[in-house]
Amino acid sequence: MSVGYSGSSSPTVPGRVPARSSGGRVSPGGDAVVETPLPPAGDGEREAGTPRVVTRPLPAWERHTGAIYGVLLAVAVVAMAFLPMNANDYTVSLAITVLLTICLASSWNLISGFTGYVSFGHAGFFGIGAYVGGLLIYHGAATWYVAVLAGGLATALVAAVIGYPTLRLRGPYFAVAMLGLTELASIIVTAWDSVTFGGSGVFLPILYERSERLTNYYAMLVLAVVVAVVSYAVATSRFGLRLLAIRDDEGAARAMGINTTAHKLGAFVLSSFFPGAAGAIYARHTGYIDPPAFFAVIWSIRAIATSMLGGQGTVIGPILGAVVLTLVSEEVWSRDPNAYQIIFGGLIVLVVLFMPGGFVALLQRVGWLPRSRRL
Amino acid sequence: MDILQVIISGLLLGGVYAIFAAGLNTIFGVMRIINLAHGELMMLGAYVTFAFYDGWGINPLITLPISAVLLFGLGLLFQQFLIERVVGQPLLSSLLLTFGLSTLLQGIALNRFTANFRSVPFLSGSWGIGELSLSRSRLLAFVVALAVTGLVYLFLQRSRFGKAIRATSQQPDVAEVCGVDVRQVRLMTFALGAALAAIAGSLVAMIFSIYPEMGRMFIGKAFAIIVLGGLGSFGGAFAGALVLGVGETLAAYWTDTQIAQGVSYAALVLVLLLRPSGFFGVKE
Repeated sequence: MSVGYSGSSSPTVPGRVPARSSGGRVSPGGDAVVETPLPPAGDGEREAGTPRVVTRPLPAWERHTGAIYGVLLAVAVVAMAFLPMNANDYTVSLAITVLLTICLASSWNLISGFTGYVSFGHAGFFGIGAYVGGLLIYHGAATWYVAVLAGGLATALVAAVIGYPTLRLRGPYFAVAMLGLTELASIIVTAWDSVTFGGSGVFLPILYERSERLTNYYAMLVLAVVVAVVSYAVATSRFGLRLLAIRDDEGAARAMGINTTAHKLGAFVLSSFFPGAAGAIYARHTGYIDPPAFFAVIWSIRAIATSMLGGQGTVIGPILGAVVLTLVSEEVWSRDPNAYQIIFGGLIVLVVLFMPGGFVALLQRVGWLPRSRRL
Repeated sequence: MDILQVIISGLLLGGVYAIFAAGLNTIFGVMRIINLAHGELMMLGAYVTFAFYDGWGINPLITLPISAVLLFGLGLLFQQFLIERVVGQPLLSSLLLTFGLSTLLQGIALNRFTANFRSVPFLSGSWGIGELSLSRSRLLAFVVALAVTGLVYLFLQRSRFGKAIRATSQQPDVAEVCGVDVRQVRLMTFALGAALAAIAGSLVAMIFSIYPEMGRMFIGKAFAIIVLGGLGSFGGAFAGALVLGVGETLAAYWTDTQIAQGVSYAALVLVLLLRPSGFFGVKE
């Protein structure tokens, strides 16, 4: 029988086992964690309080999360598939942004939410994918969907090459290295103007037909569905469980016999495919690529903030976050573009301080969602 | 002779980088937090100096301490109410929090000061020594940076509180057991870092144009400097800053400014991959 716990004094990321937990135990199915939280390590004056341990059985429907998600996904996909028929171009464009954010956030979550390695590389992958896909389309070297696939595969390849050395770096070093690599990629693309047209950017063919423009929307929809399914598959697999083990204590995970390097690299490569493919689709959607726009660090931040808002390390969190954040952003932007940056920055600060586990953790604290790894 | 000119020019620039990186480095050492808003603290410092110069024509050397004190106060507030709450939390929390702050401050600056480029045209021209010509503003900025860095170094090495800061960055638990008020150390460290950023910003305002998004450019350089010198090594970061300043100006001299921008990031990535502890750093 599985049991969940809730309500320690410090906000806990869902499914996260504190580094020092006594009797932390994962049941064979990996469904729930039973633990007695200790005060956080190393901070004497941080108020420890008395951990209030409440064990509550997981609801019966928890077993059927997969089926529930399947139904929700099917409904969402059908609704999204019919959306363009009753919507104008603006709404479709907004929907593309929502789907793009889902792709970015969910795929970021695969590496960073599960393994805890905070990656600022998504902006880099997004830009590389946009350029690979965009240039293929520009030169007429490939059909658009082949170009999109090529964009994704190219970034996966780049991730495999840079992941091996960089994933050895722990914590802040990895974050800073990925920031540096993204900037470096942007500078290389700008400087290499014989291939990339440098700072003047690439103009892609204009899509005059609405049906042609809608292919971008459907492509982004397919990509978002794939990333959602992959997230669920990872979250419920042993592979995902091992990634969580790496996040909680990499040394211990290795001692348990997990090939941490292979797992981190696998998650990194898997995660990098999606921003690359999404970048190529988005390039085709906007029709113009230039380094400052496509390598902007804001793409990484968007993925990170979205995952955090929804709940990192969960399947539904990044999707929930993407929908809410994109729609709120759009609303704020259309009302007052000048205030946008202030509100966006302030929102991030508030989320980090008051909702570190995101919507999912909030709902779990209220008791509406179980503390399950399947979420 | 040309090359000597370029190297000296790079060294002078490196002094300003050093003072900016020193704050970021100390904050990281004490709290293990990468302050992504550090560039914006610098930007605010630069704008304080600009505002005094533009409004009342006050000499930037006089406003420099004012700017430092103001940002010291802002640093205290930030640490007390925001940063302190994510100390010891997962890395992501502090990264996202400081990024949010950086976006917020940029947005405020954009609204308040507009995106226009501004400058404090103070001490233009240069001194000639033989065939060398030294930009007067850069030389002044370098001298001030050197003096401030020296003072901070003495403070960290000699003063009681400086020792507490160093102890905390080496081993917070043990420092606390030894009677160090770790929370107060964190408070003062962040405020000190903000003040150093303000001084760097004020000096930058004398040399370059300033604009609300200037911080982004400098924070990348600061990462490279810190990694080059080794995290937590004050002297190392200073050497790293000079090396980067020279490297950048040489790259700009030999190729173009576009590629020179990449020098810091290339250095950052290479050092991280080949020698993560830097060239002067202490192994963690």
